[in-house]
Amino acid sequence: MNANFLEIKDLKKSFGTGEAKQDVLRGMNFTVAKGEFCVLLGPSGSGKSTLLNIIGGIDTPDSGYVSIGGDKLEDMNEKQLTMYRRKHLGYVFQMYNLIPNLNVKENIEVGAYLSDNPLDVEEVITTLGLQKHKYKYPNQLSGGQQQRVSIGRAVVKNPDILMCDEPTGALDYNTSKEILALIEDCNKKYGSTIIMVTHNEAIKYMADHVVKLRDGVVRHNDINENKISAFDLEW
Amino acid sequence: MKNPLIKRIPKELKSEWHKYLVIILFMVVMIGVISGMYVGHDSMLASVYENVDKLNLEDGSFELSKKASDKLLEDISSGEMADVKTYYINKGYKKADKEVAKSIDEEVDKQVRTGIEEAVRAQCTMYGISDEALIKEQVDAAIEENYDDALKEAKESKEYKEAVDEAYEEAHKKVVETVDEEWGDVAKRYDLDNEDFKERPVTIYENFYRDESEDADNDGTEDATVRIFKSDSKIDMASFNKGRAPETEGEIAIDRMHADNLGIKIGDTITVGGKKFEVVGLLSYVNYLTLHESNTDLMFDAFGFDVAMVTPEAFDKLTARVHYSYAFKYNTKPVDKIEKADFSEDFLKVLMTQSLVGDNELKDYLPEYLRQASNFAVSDIEGDSTGTSILCYILIGVIAFIFAITISNTIDKEASVIGTLRASGYSKGELIRHYMSMPLIVTIVGAVVGNIVGYTLFNTVAVNLYYQSYSLPTCHLAWSNTALIKTTVIPLLLMFFINLFVIVKKLQLSPLKFLRHDLVKSKRTKSRRLPKWSFLRRFRLRILFQNMPNYLVLIFGVILIEVMLCFAFGLPDSLDNYADKAPDMMFTEYQYMLMDNEDDDGNIIETSEESAERFGVTNLMYEKDGGSLRTGMGSGGDEKVTVYGIIPDSAYIKLGNDVKDGEIYISSAFAKKFELKKGDKISLHEEYENKSYDFVVAGEIDYDGGIAVFMGMDSFNTTFDKDEDEFSGYFSHKEITDIDNQYIATVITKDDILKVTNQLNHSMGGAMDVFKVALIILSAALIYLLAKIIIERNEHSISMTKILGFKNSEIGALYIVPTAIVVVLFALISFVVGYYLMVWIFKIFVMQMDGYFDFYMSAGSMVLSVVYLLIGYGIVSVIDFIRIKKIPMDVALKNVE
Repeated sequence: MNANFLEIKDLKKSFGTGEAKQDVLRGMNFTVAKGEFCVLLGPSGSGKSTLLNIIGGIDTPDSGYVSIGGDKLEDMNEKQLTMYRRKHLGYVFQMYNLIPNLNVKENIEVGAYLSDNPLDVEEVITTLGLQKHKYKYPNQLSGGQQQRVSIGRAVVKNPDILMCDEPTGALDYNTSKEILALIEDCNKKYGSTIIMVTHNEAIKYMADHVVKLRDGVVRHNDINENKISAFDLEW
Repeated sequence: MKNPLIKRIPKELKSEWHKYLVIILFMVVMIGVISGMYVGHDSMLASVYENVDKLNLEDGSFELSKKASDKLLEDISSGEMADVKTYYINKGYKKADKEVAKSIDEEVDKQVRTGIEEAVRAQCTMYGISDEALIKEQVDAAIEENYDDALKEAKESKEYKEAVDEAYEEAHKKVVETVDEEWGDVAKRYDLDNEDFKERPVTIYENFYRDESEDADNDGTEDATVRIFKSDSKIDMASFNKGRAPETEGEIAIDRMHADNLGIKIGDTITVGGKKFEVVGLLSYVNYLTLHESNTDLMFDAFGFDVAMVTPEAFDKLTARVHYSYAFKYNTKPVDKIEKADFSEDFLKVLMTQSLVGDNELKDYLPEYLRQASNFAVSDIEGDSTGTSILCYILIGVIAFIFAITISNTIDKEASVIGTLRASGYSKGELIRHYMSMPLIVTIVGAVVGNIVGYTLFNTVAVNLYYQSYSLPTCHLAWSNTALIKTTVIPLLLMFFINLFVIVKKLQLSPLKFLRHDLVKSKRTKSRRLPKWSFLRRFRLRILFQNMPNYLVLIFGVILIEVMLCFAFGLPDSLDNYADKAPDMMFTEYQYMLMDNEDDDGNIIETSEESAERFGVTNLMYEKDGGSLRTGMGSGGDEKVTVYGIIPDSAYIKLGNDVKDGEIYISSAFAKKFELKKGDKISLHEEYENKSYDFVVAGEIDYDGGIAVFMGMDSFNTTFDKDEDEFSGYFSHKEITDIDNQYIATVITKDDILKVTNQLNHSMGGAMDVFKVALIILSAALIYLLAKIIIERNEHSISMTKILGFKNSEIGALYIVPTAIVVVLFALISFVVGYYLMVWIFKIFVMQMDGYFDFYMSAGSMVLSVVYLLIGYGIVSVIDFIRIKKIPMDVALKNVE
């Protein structure tokens, strides 16, 4: 296992200017090993989504850097960043952002298209338990089902890193657990590195690595030796 | 793997079918009409051009007083000038020889007789005979007996011979002297000594005709003059729109347009020159596309004049005078207008000299390029596409605008999806291509269907418009590059670039901004403070503020609609207005153009009419800035300017008293069209010569009837190398009756101007109706699309208000009323903007054609153009309300973008 697969070094980011200036990230350091299930935990405003966006190459830090597999994102131009996201990342958002006029299968194909070695779409659909719904449109699905599709779209790329931004934020308790289990499955089955942003403390128990953030800095950076399965989580 | 986003396109088309149907219909109607107009236009021109060769159109024609001898035709064909001087000398010699011979004969006769008488009397005296009677008897007998011998003897004498030679020499000398004296004048008058003269060999064709009377309904009264040609002519032939050429003596084929006007059909019998003929064909002569009886006619007359074809046998049996008309074609073709003019000038000299030498008389000469009957229609058709072009560009702009806002809205609506796709690794290029595909597909579908409709349905509309006016040949559908470029290539390119611009600009934002719906940069950090109105009023105001960009788009759209409606109503109004005002625009009741200011005897043509006033006139060309779109067979790109020479203190045109040489007054139409003002310098040039004149504008004459300039008569004659007292005709308030008709080239009266405007209305009126209907439909489609966009944008909020418990009527009032207020308020403002935009567009339109007329809209049309918009919006509001009622509540609840 590559212990420094993802390296976050002295990362700083602020928004606004003058009196309205707000430091969101104030020198953040940690590393994530390849294949690790890493949870970024913190209250709202702690900078976790900003951090995720910077790791995802859709936002840039003011200083410091992010390197993945030894490649620094700051050295990449826009095109290279796009290619980086295309080849290495999968994204799952709190809002599912599915394409309304494509059905379930087609929405997952949207992800598969981007990858050089995508997973089998049908297999992913089966894994996600969407077999019965694969020809439905997003507006015919429940929130949990939509989030499954969104995970499918990200996972089918067979990404090195799966970025999840509050994936259960809009879901109920049971559905949340189902979604977390799916992400856990992907981690195990496909060996993807998972970086999940959440404010739900309970989720840390299923992670290999928990990074607690507050006020733009890392407060705790712990390895969880006794992680439990998603289904055993309680909150 | 294919980009799965492609699958969205058919689904999008299906789910938004009504929107795309309206857009496609919009494009089909627009492209169909415009393509139809172009195809009809180009096909008509192609048919006309094709016939120039196929039907062997002449390069010119001339008429002689009697049938030309083979020798004369041969001499004319050579293209060489005859040696007129030698001809005159020889002719003089002949005459002088005759006279000399006559006087010598008389003298010799006298001398011989006197000699014999003297000899007889001497003998009588010798024999003492004194009886005078007897002496006379003897003298007569002697003359009878000896005259011949004596005459012979006298003629053989040296003296006689010397005297005769001397007399002839003297007479010949006198002849040469006289010819020499007069030759200078003749040569100068006809420019026969011009060194630039070149031989113009031609091929001559006999094309005799007779002008007979035509009685179309056999009621004994003449309905028209019909010009009859033989069916075996090899020049200026006819094409048959219906029927066939006459084959027997009792058959005739007549002009289609004339037949149409008089209701003559194939199979009908008409009386021509007192003989009955059966109409077997309706034709169009290549040199009579308009029925101009005489080339000096201001307007053609398809009612009172006809051209027809009969067999040579039937022709011979008719009784009206034969016009010995010959058509010719140059053996080497002139390439341009200037060369045509040079060729024609040279050939005229050939004709004048050869016909003189060949003992014939040249009655008429007309080079084809000046022939109204074959050029008038072509020139008109060539210039006709301008209106269509303008309409085309307005509509393409409208469509591009619709697409730009549609695409922009779609991108706004799909912001999160775009953000997610970009975050997942979709490149900007992929998304640009994706969003570009829909407008391009719709344009292609619209263009293809529109062109099919244009080629099959609407092309006949345009062709029929031309058929209503001119005696044109049968039109064969021709492929039109112009139609393809203007209705397909340009809209596609425009659509491509406008959408590319909008999409690229929109997709510049970072994925994060899309994910956050942070698409518009707003500096406002706090909401606007609103007055303490009722909640609903404030809510409505908020909607208005929130949708400001959409309303700006709506306002822009309403302006476009008003431009279209102003075009639809204004164009026919402008034509009517011109027709109404045209007769008043004449600065004189009668304008007599003379063939020459001297009669056959060289006397100045005078009139006793008190109001008559001499004027000089010529035509020059004014070069339009940046050239013109018009080229080809017709009148070409430059503006024709009528230049008038006005006498001092004229009763008709008031020029300033201190007009200097090189200064001119311009007509108000000229000033308006080219934005000229006092002090401007303008350059006018000859149409067929490489010669130009520079003038300074000294003022403006209030005359909207044409593009004209006015200058002092003296200045006019000096500038154009004319004689001091030369003039071109008379202005007169009353009819002039004491000038022989043979000296009058044209008389222009108010009736003639009315004829022109009526014809204009007749020719263009049909096109106007087509434009009007098309534009009203398109305006309705545009307002529908614009209103739809506003509701679509607010779908989420509307759904939310429904959840909150607002009634449909309340929601309608919230979302429809602000739009209605905006539409009503801006309908009036847009009308003003649209009107002035149209005035501006119209000016460009007028620049493309000859002459000038103002853009005009009647009060009724102005009101109607706003009322149509409001009615259209009223209907759309009802549709909007139905749409609002249909918006489901879960739009706001479901987390679906």
